[in-house]
Amino acid sequence: MEQFESLLTCCVCLDRYRNPKLLPCQHSFCMEPCMDGLVDYVRRQVKCPECRAEHRIPYQGVQGFPTNVTLQRFLELHAQIAGELPDPTAGQVMERCNVCSEKAYCAPCAHCDKKVCEDCKSAHMEVLRREIARINNQIRRGVNRLQDILAVVERNTANLQTNCGAVAGEIDEIHKRLAKALKDRTDFLRTEVDRYLATELRNLTHLKDNLELELSNIQSNCDLADKYMNDDVDWEDTELVDTKEIFLKTVEFLRNFDYEAGDYNRRVRFIMTHDPNQLVMHVASYGELNITNPNAYSAGLQQSQGLTRSKSDHRLATQFRQQEEAKGYMENDEPILGGRKFGERRPPPPEKHTRDYSATDDYSGYESEHRPSRRFRSRFVRSHQQDNDSDTEQSTRTVKSEHKEKEKEKVADTEDATRGPLSGIFRLSDCPRVIQRILDVDSGKKKEKKEPPPPPKPVQPTPQPQRRPPPVRQQSEDDEISRLKRQNKGAASSQEPERLPSRPVEEERPAVNRKPPTPAREASSEGESDEESVGSLQRNQRKSSVQTQKPTATRRPSASDTSSTHRPAARATSTESSASTESSGSAVKHTGAILSIAELKAKYSIDGPSPKPISRILSAGNERSAPVTTNGTVSGAQRVQSRFVGSQRPTPAPAPAEPAPEDSDTSSEEETDSSEESEEEPVTQRKPESQAMARSDIGPLLARSTNARNDAHDNKSKETPAQTRYRTRQSSQTEEEPSPRYGASSSSYSSRYGSKPKDEELTSSLDDESKYPTARSRYLALKERRNRLARSKSSHTGFGAGDDDDQDEPVSPTTASPSAYLAARYGSGTGGSELSRSRSSHALKSRESSPERPVTGEKDGAALSSWARYLKNKYGSRGKDRDTSGTSSSSSRRLSLGLPLRSANELASSDDDSKNAAGSPISPTAATAAVAGFAAAGSSPRSQYLQKRRLQFSVGSRGSEPGCFTWPRGIAVGPENIMVVADSSNHRVQVFDSNGIFIKEFGQYGSGEGEFDCLAGVAVNRIGQYIIADRYNHRIQVFDPAGRFLRSFGSQGTGDGKFNYPWGITTDALGFIYVCDKENHRVQVFQSDGTFVGKFGSFGSKLGQLEHPHYIAVSSTNRVLVSDSNNHRIQVFDVNGRVLSSFGEEGSEDGQFKFPRGVAVDDQGYIVVADSGNNRIQIFHPDGTFLRAFGSWGCGDGEFKGLEGIAVMSGGNIIVCDRENHRVQVF
Amino acid sequence: MAALPRRIIKETQRLMQEPVPGISAVPSENNARYFHVIVTGPEDSPFEGGLFKLELFLPEDYPMSAPKVRFITKIYHPNIDRLGRICLDILKDKWSPALQIRTVLLSIQALLSAPNPDDPLANDVAELWKVNESEAIRNAKEWTRRYAMDN
Repeated sequence: MEQFESLLTCCVCLDRYRNPKLLPCQHSFCMEPCMDGLVDYVRRQVKCPECRAEHRIPYQGVQGFPTNVTLQRFLELHAQIAGELPDPTAGQVMERCNVCSEKAYCAPCAHCDKKVCEDCKSAHMEVLRREIARINNQIRRGVNRLQDILAVVERNTANLQTNCGAVAGEIDEIHKRLAKALKDRTDFLRTEVDRYLATELRNLTHLKDNLELELSNIQSNCDLADKYMNDDVDWEDTELVDTKEIFLKTVEFLRNFDYEAGDYNRRVRFIMTHDPNQLVMHVASYGELNITNPNAYSAGLQQSQGLTRSKSDHRLATQFRQQEEAKGYMENDEPILGGRKFGERRPPPPEKHTRDYSATDDYSGYESEHRPSRRFRSRFVRSHQQDNDSDTEQSTRTVKSEHKEKEKEKVADTEDATRGPLSGIFRLSDCPRVIQRILDVDSGKKKEKKEPPPPPKPVQPTPQPQRRPPPVRQQSEDDEISRLKRQNKGAASSQEPERLPSRPVEEERPAVNRKPPTPAREASSEGESDEESVGSLQRNQRKSSVQTQKPTATRRPSASDTSSTHRPAARATSTESSASTESSGSAVKHTGAILSIAELKAKYSIDGPSPKPISRILSAGNERSAPVTTNGTVSGAQRVQSRFVGSQRPTPAPAPAEPAPEDSDTSSEEETDSSEESEEEPVTQRKPESQAMARSDIGPLLARSTNARNDAHDNKSKETPAQTRYRTRQSSQTEEEPSPRYGASSSSYSSRYGSKPKDEELTSSLDDESKYPTARSRYLALKERRNRLARSKSSHTGFGAGDDDDQDEPVSPTTASPSAYLAARYGSGTGGSELSRSRSSHALKSRESSPERPVTGEKDGAALSSWARYLKNKYGSRGKDRDTSGTSSSSSRRLSLGLPLRSANELASSDDDSKNAAGSPISPTAATAAVAGFAAAGSSPRSQYLQKRRLQFSVGSRGSEPGCFTWPRGIAVGPENIMVVADSSNHRVQVFDSNGIFIKEFGQYGSGEGEFDCLAGVAVNRIGQYIIADRYNHRIQVFDPAGRFLRSFGSQGTGDGKFNYPWGITTDALGFIYVCDKENHRVQVFQSDGTFVGKFGSFGSKLGQLEHPHYIAVSSTNRVLVSDSNNHRIQVFDVNGRVLSSFGEEGSEDGQFKFPRGVAVDDQGYIVVADSGNNRIQIFHPDGTFLRAFGSWGCGDGEFKGLEGIAVMSGGNIIVCDRENHRVQVF
Repeated sequence: MAALPRRIIKETQRLMQEPVPGISAVPSENNARYFHVIVTGPEDSPFEGGLFKLELFLPEDYPMSAPKVRFITKIYHPNIDRLGRICLDILKDKWSPALQIRTVLLSIQALLSAPNPDDPLANDVAELWKVNESEAIRNAKEWTRRYAMDN
């Protein structure tokens, strides 16, 4: 048996033969890797390891050798006898591992999404395991938060109950009292009426009797008089007199008696002391439930207790429920396991392609537009699968969702039950796969490793889409769609047979899991044509609009059924909500939804106390799910959208807020720390996607915030993500926008965009807020700096006044901000010794020339080189920065200096100020921008850059006439925003005004003074001198503002002050000249007179090394940015050449470069890079995080062919040399 | 570093399980491609009784290229120079992937019993070996005693 075994063993790999190939010498070896490795490619022969016989390799390669069939049979036989499992790699072909690039049997790795060899895979799995352990620790540490929350919730439940009980008792009490009062009064009134009636009735009856008596008396009297008052009867005279008297009296009575009808005609009227309607209203609204919200900002975040807290929790919980329902667990799946069932492989590549399509944030607009229909299906179609068999056409989009659908349905089938309602995290131990694994472990049948504890995946913020390559946008032509559809279908169907042989170990499981879709399901999923999805969406919309009437209706009765007087009362409580509804929801309203929840949530997370009506809506939603779900559906898109955006780019939130001050203000060690951190981060991060996070240069912060974020994402119920979301949304907004072709189908779509401006407002306000502390710290630093400067300041200005007044003088408050910034920076200084050195020396000098000794000052001034004059200007102006904050001091200074006092009209003088200010190459925007300082200006350039994309104008075409170019390279902005262009192959410098009008040119071909040979970089220093990198002459030339040659320095070589094809060039605030010495792979620094100061960088790709640095820029914070072209990155140095950070790597995604060339930085520190190889311009935050990109290859407007130099004007206009198009474009 | 190929693992295991008489090869703790080897001097050779230390390193493309072997213990041998380098064809052009650590070490042991002064590496030794074999053998014995027996 032993020998038998050895016969079946390849002597090269000492393993069982795999695909044994028979050499002519009758020795057999495995085809791969053994035979493969034996090949002598040069001689095209193979040497038998056993007998050293040499054989020619057949035409087809080693495959051409005959397979040793006998041996193979033996192998099979042996396997049968020994009962061995079939070789798992049998039938596979070796491939290069995508990680270690060894040839091996590769299998897709879920960790890195590549096909990798077993070893790398196990290494990855180890990494995953460790990370899971790590994250698990984090979770363990963080889980008490949930427990705390749970305790709080429990406490709040109790509180709520007691509270509500008390309130209910109160209400009952009031009701009783009111009822009693009402009854008493009613009874009283009733008796009053009765009594009144009785008396009146009695009186009337009495009167009636009397009248009747009178009537009868008079009647009888009359009769008697008629009958007997004649001669027949003898009446005595007295009798007659009396009779007459009686009759007279009767007449008088009759005449006078007047029935006072008024007395008895009185009507009883019931008069209310109050307007009954009002009274009813008062009663009807005799109480409000006022739910107070103690803390405006942290509504339900931390401190809020009792009712508020429980309410907000409740609200959030409701929202999440809605979300869940609205999405049918689908959106939630996506962040968690990418819509896969636990442990399932990722969808194979062809499908991935479609996944990309949906998962990219660029398409989130489309996504959110599309989702409702899917949700609709998932909830609706699924239940009607059977009768939904009339399938029409399919669209790409629905095909994609079909895949998801299948998986998701499975998820829903199996793992739904234990899914956490808030986070969507399900219990791993309920997953069939996990159960299986654990069973395996327990029973010890297999030595399978236990599946790692709780899932990191749901917790981990997965900015997945970020990483995905921006897919080429698909045309929505029908044939395209159907083509893709077919493709996908094919992929879906061919997926099984492919997989089965490839992963026989998993055979049983996939067979169970991936059972072919039942006809019904297929029908249902296929029945989702484009039209239908749109239709369903619309239907859905309609439904929602119908149903959303309900909430309105439920709200109405309280308001409209009662009289109008009631309304104000109701309003009063809901002012805030209605206000916000009106303000933010104006666009939303027409969708039929009252308000999108997301909107509200965001609103209240910022606005503070959420008034009652909301909770009323929500609680109504609780009781009856119908209105809520509809509410959710309409707003679903939005919320999903925002969440989506939020989760995909979690970092920007902390990034702009904190690192901005941090990485520029703090010491360089910290900076390197953080950059190191950010380098490590990608390694430790589970997914490469999170490189995006790491890229944001917030290293330690990141770790913390990741933790926090994890939690936040975990229960998805905190407002912080909302803020994040909103902040980030702005940044991604512009990318979302260009999907108008979907716009028509859905109104929720438009609502989303309708509400966008609002978001932006919020964002900017947020930004401002977050910026504020920054600004303040800057201010403090500035103040500190000012104190320090105070000593020498007056002397500085005295100095300046004595020497060249005009340059120093007109620096107005408008110029203050950048230089104040600078001052602040120096104060807290990464600035470095060089600067401080020069500063101190200058301070010495200026102390010498203090106002008490103006004569010496003048003398000194006269003796100063132009370089020193720079320094003086710089500091003079910096001294004047004080003007911004302390005009009084400035005026006193002015007084002491005998200068005209200009306190009020300082701004008026900013015209000539701007000249001088703009003369500074590094702060070209000084004059116009940043009047309000950083706090206010903080968000403006960013949004400005975000909007950038449209070409403003372009200058030039190919040619050698003025205004034409031949391969323009360097570009710079000079005083008054003039554009200075190195017209390289015309060997001249051309100058244009800010509108692109040709002003002048100078230089011609040659190597003499003022002549150029293919110049490259240009720079303009503070006093308007042109500094030109004369590339093929290997020197730097300096020209005065009129274009006259001043001096040149440098020659070819590698020593200090020598150049090898100097390329980009720039100057800093102090007038130092920085030259990219391209072929020497270094940057050299000179004084403005050409004296060599220092150099940094050497050939290589490590941090701090350079390979063909092309262009260079210095920020107002004295950060030196070098486009390290062949290393495809931008490196940031301090002025002493220490590396601060670096960003970008090779690639064409956001934040990646291909041979970046021009680099520029604005006065806010925003970095603009001419990403030459990708033919686009990229804009970065000061900390190096990506802001946006635009441009593509081509010769149209906004298209580029080979970018060169780039510069930023004071207004924020970006000017760039479009080399192969021989023009300059302005954005 | 890429993981260890199966072949190396197998060979190592086999070396451990079925050691070759007179030869021990133990992989280094921190590098599985580096072996500490001890070869006993073959009987009936001037090296008898000596324990010769060698180092053996498996290059990246092993087994497609030969292992690097070197004597650490000084040895008086016409095919082994003062630096311990070995002149052995299978370590050079006659390497075959079918050979193994085991076979290589056996070949080295065989080389000790059968010096080949016609293909010398240490010229002086080879010269003496050819001219005055007995003295050469005496030298070899002396060296063996001096360098290969003390420890």
